[in-house]
Amino acid sequence: MISYKKRAVKRKYIALILFSMVVTIFGCTKLHEKLGGNLSPGQVSTDSLAPAILLQGVYNSLEFTFTSYLQVFALSDMTTDEAIAPTRGSNWDDNGQWRVFHQQKYDPNNPVIHDCFNSLSGVVFAATDMLQFKPTRQQQAEARFLRAWAMYWMLDMFDQVPYRNPGGTLTQAAKVRKGIDALTYIISEINAVEPDLPDDPASKANTYAAKTLLMKCYLNKAIYVNRVSPPVADPKDMNKVINLADSIINSNNFHFSKNYFDNFSPDNGSKSTENIFTQKSNGDGNYSVALAWLAVLYYAVPPSYLGGANGFTTLQDFYTKFEPNDKRRGAVYVYPNSPPNPGNRVNVGFLTGQQYDLYTDDTLVDPTQGDLHVVYTPEVQNVELGPNILMPGIRPVKYAPDYTNFYGNNGPVQNDFVYFRFPDVLLMKAEAILRGGTGTNAGTYGITALSLINAVRTDPSRGASPMSSATLDSVFDERGRELWWENWRRQDMIRFQKFLLPFQEKNYQSDPKYLVFPIPFEQLAINPNLSQNPGY
Amino acid sequence: MQQNQLSKIICLILSEFFLVLFGSAQNKIITGKVTDSENGLSLSNVSIISNENKTGTQTNLKGNFKLVVPLSVKKLSISAIDYLPQEIDVSVFSNIDVALVSRYSTLSDVVVIGYGTSKRKDLTGSVASVSEKDFNKGNYTSPDQLIQGKVSGLQITSNDGSPGGAITVRLRGNSSLTGTGQPLYVVDGIPLDGRSLQADNNPLNFLNPLDIASIDVLKDASATAIYGSRAAYGVVIINTKKGKAGGPKLDVVMSSGKSSFLKKIDVLNATQYRQALQYYGVDPSFDKGKNTDGEDAVLQSGWQQNYAIAGNGGNENGKYRYSAGYLHQDGIVTNTSFKKYTANVSASVKYLKSKRLGIDFHLNSSQYIQDGSDLTDGNAGVVFFGLTWNPTTALRNADGSIRIDPGEGVNPLAFSQYLKDNLKVTTLLGSISPYYKFTDWLEYKLQVSINYSAGISRSSVNQAMEVYQGFPHGGNASIKNNEITTEQITHTLNLNKEIFQGVGLNAVAGYEYMKFTTKGFTINATGPTGTGFGNYGIDYTNYIQYSDAGSRNISSYLDPLYELQSFFGRTIFNYKDKYLLTATFRADGSTKFGANNKYGYFPSFAAAWNIAKERFFKIDWISSLKVRTGWGKTGNQEFPSGSAQALYAFQNNGGLVQQNNPNPDLKWQSDRQYNIGIDFSIIKNRISGSLDYFNKSTTNLLFPSPPIQPAPPGTTITWINLDGQIINKGLEVLINGSIVRSKNFSWDLSANATFLKNNVSGLTVPVFTGNVGSGPVEIIQNGHPMDAFYTRKFLGLDKSTGQSLYQDDGSTFYYVGDPNSKALLGFSSIFRYTRFSIIANFYGSFGQKIYNATLYNHLNVAGIMGGNIALSVFKNPIKESLANPSQSPSSRYIQNGNYLKMANLTFSYDMGKVAQSFSGVNVYVTAKNLFLLTKYPGFDPEVNVDHGINSVPSLGIDEVRYPSARTIIFGINFSL
Repeated sequence: MISYKKRAVKRKYIALILFSMVVTIFGCTKLHEKLGGNLSPGQVSTDSLAPAILLQGVYNSLEFTFTSYLQVFALSDMTTDEAIAPTRGSNWDDNGQWRVFHQQKYDPNNPVIHDCFNSLSGVVFAATDMLQFKPTRQQQAEARFLRAWAMYWMLDMFDQVPYRNPGGTLTQAAKVRKGIDALTYIISEINAVEPDLPDDPASKANTYAAKTLLMKCYLNKAIYVNRVSPPVADPKDMNKVINLADSIINSNNFHFSKNYFDNFSPDNGSKSTENIFTQKSNGDGNYSVALAWLAVLYYAVPPSYLGGANGFTTLQDFYTKFEPNDKRRGAVYVYPNSPPNPGNRVNVGFLTGQQYDLYTDDTLVDPTQGDLHVVYTPEVQNVELGPNILMPGIRPVKYAPDYTNFYGNNGPVQNDFVYFRFPDVLLMKAEAILRGGTGTNAGTYGITALSLINAVRTDPSRGASPMSSATLDSVFDERGRELWWENWRRQDMIRFQKFLLPFQEKNYQSDPKYLVFPIPFEQLAINPNLSQNPGY
Repeated sequence: MQQNQLSKIICLILSEFFLVLFGSAQNKIITGKVTDSENGLSLSNVSIISNENKTGTQTNLKGNFKLVVPLSVKKLSISAIDYLPQEIDVSVFSNIDVALVSRYSTLSDVVVIGYGTSKRKDLTGSVASVSEKDFNKGNYTSPDQLIQGKVSGLQITSNDGSPGGAITVRLRGNSSLTGTGQPLYVVDGIPLDGRSLQADNNPLNFLNPLDIASIDVLKDASATAIYGSRAAYGVVIINTKKGKAGGPKLDVVMSSGKSSFLKKIDVLNATQYRQALQYYGVDPSFDKGKNTDGEDAVLQSGWQQNYAIAGNGGNENGKYRYSAGYLHQDGIVTNTSFKKYTANVSASVKYLKSKRLGIDFHLNSSQYIQDGSDLTDGNAGVVFFGLTWNPTTALRNADGSIRIDPGEGVNPLAFSQYLKDNLKVTTLLGSISPYYKFTDWLEYKLQVSINYSAGISRSSVNQAMEVYQGFPHGGNASIKNNEITTEQITHTLNLNKEIFQGVGLNAVAGYEYMKFTTKGFTINATGPTGTGFGNYGIDYTNYIQYSDAGSRNISSYLDPLYELQSFFGRTIFNYKDKYLLTATFRADGSTKFGANNKYGYFPSFAAAWNIAKERFFKIDWISSLKVRTGWGKTGNQEFPSGSAQALYAFQNNGGLVQQNNPNPDLKWQSDRQYNIGIDFSIIKNRISGSLDYFNKSTTNLLFPSPPIQPAPPGTTITWINLDGQIINKGLEVLINGSIVRSKNFSWDLSANATFLKNNVSGLTVPVFTGNVGSGPVEIIQNGHPMDAFYTRKFLGLDKSTGQSLYQDDGSTFYYVGDPNSKALLGFSSIFRYTRFSIIANFYGSFGQKIYNATLYNHLNVAGIMGGNIALSVFKNPIKESLANPSQSPSSRYIQNGNYLKMANLTFSYDMGKVAQSFSGVNVYVTAKNLFLLTKYPGFDPEVNVDHGINSVPSLGIDEVRYPSARTIIFGINFSL
């Protein structure tokens, strides 16, 4: 009896041991996290196609921040004399985040500045990261150019450019290049990659885009030395600007488009002969170029699915800088997917006065507001106090709306978003001559600043009258008319030292600290290499 | 002992001998004493009855009895008021001592404590259990509602009033910076994933509340630490009903009822609207001449019905239970409904001669279908369009058809008719657990389970809506599919033995492996140009291929695999039931954690002292008194899988980009909690209760940190463990009392209260949340409670301009309120008179503020231009300017959220046996939300509409949520 019991107990323990073996053999896992629909860095590095799609990812990362009117545009144009986002009662109040731009009273907590800083940094990251995955010469040249482009904007806006090395540890604070050091780096990068860039298309990083960006670097160099009291421009730099312009002109790749608005139409990718560098349209959710018309048009503008947001407008003083016959101010424009427009109403450019249904030519009214007439009035205030709070403001529509391909804010509209255009090159050359450079003869645009400016103004696509003399102020004004709402106004106003001066709906001289934006408080808190810009 | 028994047998033989001798050969004498099982006191007036020959007696004052019965009698029934009846075998012995268990004692209850059970009297931690008899009565869509207001420290908030809608569950305060903050749900030993297929749904919707036997809530860390890195927000253990030995029994439950709105929001009626047009000097053409009510147009009376059958039976070797249920609730908003089908089978079988091998089997299947739920909430939902409808505008044309006029704002009837949203969620929860008892004190158990949910959501917008601004041209169709699978294997070894004289050891050791997968896809498309999807009477989601090719959006995903591997153990030492010591330990390894922190360790210790068992304790009126204290460490790992490593994501136009900022140091959020508590019962258990003080400190806060730029583009975040500390302190009180106890009449009262305090410290940067449309209104900042309201301080309207006045012109933000409850109250009363009973349950929450974003965003003064405004805006003695940017967030919209609700009131009549075959017949009528006491002007102060920012949820914000319902139900239950 006793021995039997003992054996039984033994058996039990053997069974126990067996169970624990089952547990250890079949149970234990090494807790390696297997990925599902994503790729690990290891998988990316073994894929020969990866550099190409990573590069596409870099291009994609430029979307929204540039194309939406809600980030770069808000910082670059709304802070100037050409754009404002009036608060209309409860609409566009948004905790005051738009008001502070035109008033030049922004602070480090501003969410738009925060988003812009992060988005541009995201481009820098994506372009840096792809370099570790064995790209071809051209691929790495494209990525590095796009990185230089984003860094240039960060320099221009924030004077500080955080950067990482490919494969660097993300939890560590990024190093920062500041001011002229950042510019030197950007110039060296552009020079290094230019030989490996293709000549076209405009929607890719290309040699002419590189040259144009270099022109911007040299033209604004004095500003990056000292924004408050910049030194006089170095004639050597101005001659570099002129030489770069000439090599673009002499390539014979760029001419004035037949119609000024061809550069922004839904078929601008094929029709424009001016565009040097653009963001290719696509159907992904971030390509929000439709906001270029949504953000400005009144709610009740047909077709019903359009959904205008009745937001941003220009200012009277800016509007009156145009001659009435200047086609850049507004036009009746026929383009693929345009509405029938039976009344031949102005449908692109600056929309003002009574608006009409472009399908029926009926006078446009808003039945939800007691048949309120849609009349865009030129007077506009930073905060509309009524009684007319909905209509004030002339509405600039630069990109002809692609109604057919529009299905909502993020529809696959076809307009490519424009970064660089040829007239900008001509006007920069004119400015460089006026700032001490030596005039040269290239193309058919003349040797003097005046002839260059008039070449732009009087081209049949613009139709403005010629100027009789050219000063820096006339270059400044012409840049305003030619490049309105193209993200360059703030940079130009700073370079021409007009940014801090009073202008419409900002009747005071601003504090010089506003020449650069504050570093967003959030990044400042986590990256000790950043320092807050003076005065904030 | 043996000698004693032997002498009894001798006595018996002798007495029989005498009986035979004196001619009453057919009878025997049974004697004995009846006592209370807890305090050993003698019980008088206990009836002792032989069911076989209908004779009986009662105990005398000393608890003794003597009964003469025929020899053939083998069993006696012993029963007394207030005690659970017992049957005693008298076939062998004639002198018996019986210890009766009080009906009101909770100490004898068995409580499920995770990987095992414990008698309530042996508990060292803070554990609340609610069993079926104490559940809230009514038709519920999910089991959490059964215990709403019943457990101190547990706050269950229905985020809105929609059937099956989401809930916010907070146990012992708000300590979650991110994630749901909900407790870990464990159903029959299977920890649930906690995710719901749609964010605005309740993760417990798949269960039929009628299948639930009891719910145990593990509150303090000494109780929850056995669940390690997922237990920081507490553990709720849901136990379903199991088979019982006995002849086959069939329970039938049938009920039907009607619900209507609880409370409306006061907006202008047509007359007031016309007055307002004049008052504000608005274009009189906004008066469209009719007299309508948009709010009424979208509200309806909803019918509901609930049927369930459950059968069970078996014997000692095998028991089974099966059940099937059908629930249909029409919502109180037009075209919303909730339907649920459930079917369950469970069985428990024992094998081998020794009966040492057993298998428990359980399969729970359910499907619920929700219509229209997505279309009711927020600023583009049917309730919104109803509230903001111009009350002078016709809703229907003269011919009765729905009026669609782009000039009149979106007709709520059209919205309700032409937007469809259908969600179908199918869940299977199956488990099989074989066990083997090596000896009486050692048992091995294996549990293998799988939990699978698939949700298909189909929604469409009819092209009839295209005339309205912002609606898709040609109609729109969208199909979403999500699947969640959780697989689990658990091995446990249980030991339960008296290791030394008076020292009991109850220990469990185990290993657990869990695997979670999530995948899904979405398709979205707009109707073809020109024709649109058309009007064929078929839902657009049924022929989505007809859509415009360029409009199609598709995407799919499979989340990184998430595995959890754990080793755990618990030991409970029990010295003579006086001193109890518990220690638990769990090691959790998770694939989600960073490479440098693969394993987390979670210990706990607790001790309890049953003072009433001490010899020196001589206070008669105190039946039991226990002091408990415990400390433990738990964690939370509610962050997405893949967060610790670098991931590259495919974009929808041929791009690839790094999506995730790796953090090899990422780990669980850590909670340390101590608890001191007292359990007591006095005056023969007539009054019992407990008192707990807890202090919970949460550190290593999981937080989606802004990455250090340059970082991957997009909305990327880095999950980090943030420095900082959230402390929740509180006091919980529970008191149960039997006010009256007599044979025909009883009245029991139960009340619980919780007092909470919450504070944040140690943060290096404040965290903002609560984006009400134009910026955050809530802050998580040192020295303030979680999610404190932080915005402009509103001083009133300027009498001359009608514009808002703010402290410091609105350029400074202030702390202007706390959305956290400071006190929770639950109260219930059960009144029985013979077969008739009245049950009433109340709950309330006090001290919290609500940001009324309905008023702020939608019913402000600007709405007078063709919409509607809140009556309170119109009644304001100062005329507000129409140009007043009333949508600048400010304290103007922060309102008092105190409330007390009558959760339910039930009258029931127990008819007992009816005819031959119906037993346990019970008819009842229940009213849910009979009244609500509050000053809050929204639909219901029990609200939480998430306005979180970057995975940091908000608290206490209300914005056009689904209105709450008041429901009256008639029901009948019976058994066959």
